Amino acid sequence: MEAVKSVDLVKVYHGKETVEALKGVSLSMNEGELFTLLGPNGAGKTTFLRIISTQLLFTKGEAYVLGFDVLSEPNEIRKHIAVVPQDAQTYGNFTPWEYCYYFSLLRGMTKRKVEENSEKALRAVELWDLRNRICLTLSGGEKKRAIIASALASDADILLLDEPTSGLDAVARRKVWAVLRELVEQGRTILLTTHIMEEAEMISDRVAIINKGKVIAEGTVEEIKGLAKEKFRVVIEGSLQGTKLLQNNNRAVKFGDKQIIYLKDEDEAIELVKAALKKGLKAETAPITLEDVFVKLVGGEEA
Amino acid sequence: MNLKSVKDALTIAALKSIPDFKRQPLMLIMIGLISSIPLYFILVFGGQISYGLVGAMVSTISFIGIAAAIQDITVDRYLKIREMIVAMPVHPISYAVGVALAPLVISAPSLIFFTAIAIWLKILPLSSIGWIIASLLLCWTTLSSIGFIISTYLQKASVYTLNNLSNILGFGLIFIPPVYYPEELLGGLSWVAMIFPTSNAAGLIRAYSGSLQLSPEIILVRWLILIAVTIVSIIIVSLKAKWREV
Repeated sequence: MEAVKSVDLVKVYHGKETVEALKGVSLSMNEGELFTLLGPNGAGKTTFLRIISTQLLFTKGEAYVLGFDVLSEPNEIRKHIAVVPQDAQTYGNFTPWEYCYYFSLLRGMTKRKVEENSEKALRAVELWDLRNRICLTLSGGEKKRAIIASALASDADILLLDEPTSGLDAVARRKVWAVLRELVEQGRTILLTTHIMEEAEMISDRVAIINKGKVIAEGTVEEIKGLAKEKFRVVIEGSLQGTKLLQNNNRAVKFGDKQIIYLKDEDEAIELVKAALKKGLKAETAPITLEDVFVKLVGGEEA
Repeated sequence: MNLKSVKDALTIAALKSIPDFKRQPLMLIMIGLISSIPLYFILVFGGQISYGLVGAMVSTISFIGIAAAIQDITVDRYLKIREMIVAMPVHPISYAVGVALAPLVISAPSLIFFTAIAIWLKILPLSSIGWIIASLLLCWTTLSSIGFIISTYLQKASVYTLNNLSNILGFGLIFIPPVYYPEELLGGLSWVAMIFPTSNAAGLIRAYSGSLQLSPEIILVRWLILIAVTIVSIIIVSLKAKWREV
């Protein structure tokens, strides 16, 4: 069964200005997968997630969670989901244990199950030793993990996480990634929004890129990378001129002293690296990243 | 409301009061002290302790009723706790009741303290304690509902605006005579005391204590008004208590 499905979903905000946040979003997410909604700020990721999590009414279209209609069956959906909102913060007087404990109680679990799940969740996010410290004294990353733990302890089939790792350092972020992947291996479904490309690339089963309220690409990371005609990137530090590969209509981007050249062929990439090294410049080649494709697709940068 | 809804309301009340109880016990003293400030001045300037004590009882429950409801809901929205609870199988009425119950739990020690002193000093007759508690509970229900309605209607207002508004309303409602002062101060406007739940409850408590002479008919009218205002505010809350935003 599809965990989440939307058909031509439209959301218009009426205020001082009318803003069309979603312009016909059709997405389908399978059970047991980690699906990432990737997009720049203001793309409509949070709006989509808030609609799916029954917090926000949509203007037009259809949306379903585990086959339940988001519009007419929100109470059924709420039994199966847990949400970590974007920029969620903790009550200062709460401990991580209380976060898991009380929020799980609200889901109707027995006290014993609540205690079991809370311990499991806190161990998973490595907060077990800090479970009785009040959140006011925890670091930003620890607070975030306390909130994530409250969602993990919920036993919900689908976790809806809105930029759960924003603001975390690399070490904390990777800990969260490991936990999320483990949950998916255990059969849970995760819908994640992020604008961190590495995150999407590292942990997603499938990705949808959303921009200005529209889905502009959907598939596995490899499928999305396949949308770009260039397959390799060469990074050169310093000025390299006179090489035909640079004049061959290949896409290139310059950042100060560094330039990235995108090439279709691996042999051409190696040839360019050799040419740069011969001139005493630093150069390296690698397959294109999701970020390269993302930047090209959302039109922030053109060759 | 089914059993799960009642349990959820109690859980929300617990999560919003027990951690504070455990870690900020001084807060309990603070609540009592704030309500005691007018009592202190009344005594210093030769007023009657009965006015001050009844005022302290009503203001403890009222101020916390309206101010805490607004502040709690606003803080929950700001911290995104509300978004997490919306996505749970929790009825919005359970949330509203839980948010209202939490400050009642926190203010209970002060309320019990003031009531005990009033009974000890024979200001309040023990035989009327049921009526007194009923009037206080109706007052608390109305003010918590008003707090909920305000924070729901002013969703887009900033945390600071709502905090200030809640404090202004809280103070405004507890300084209307006869909460701390004799109802006679209102002169020809004494009917005003019946409209506001704080002054109406205070008037009823004074009537039971014997410091305000009211005919049985007027006492009945006051009760009916207090009950009617409470019912109307509950109806508005139940109509307005919806999770989803448009």
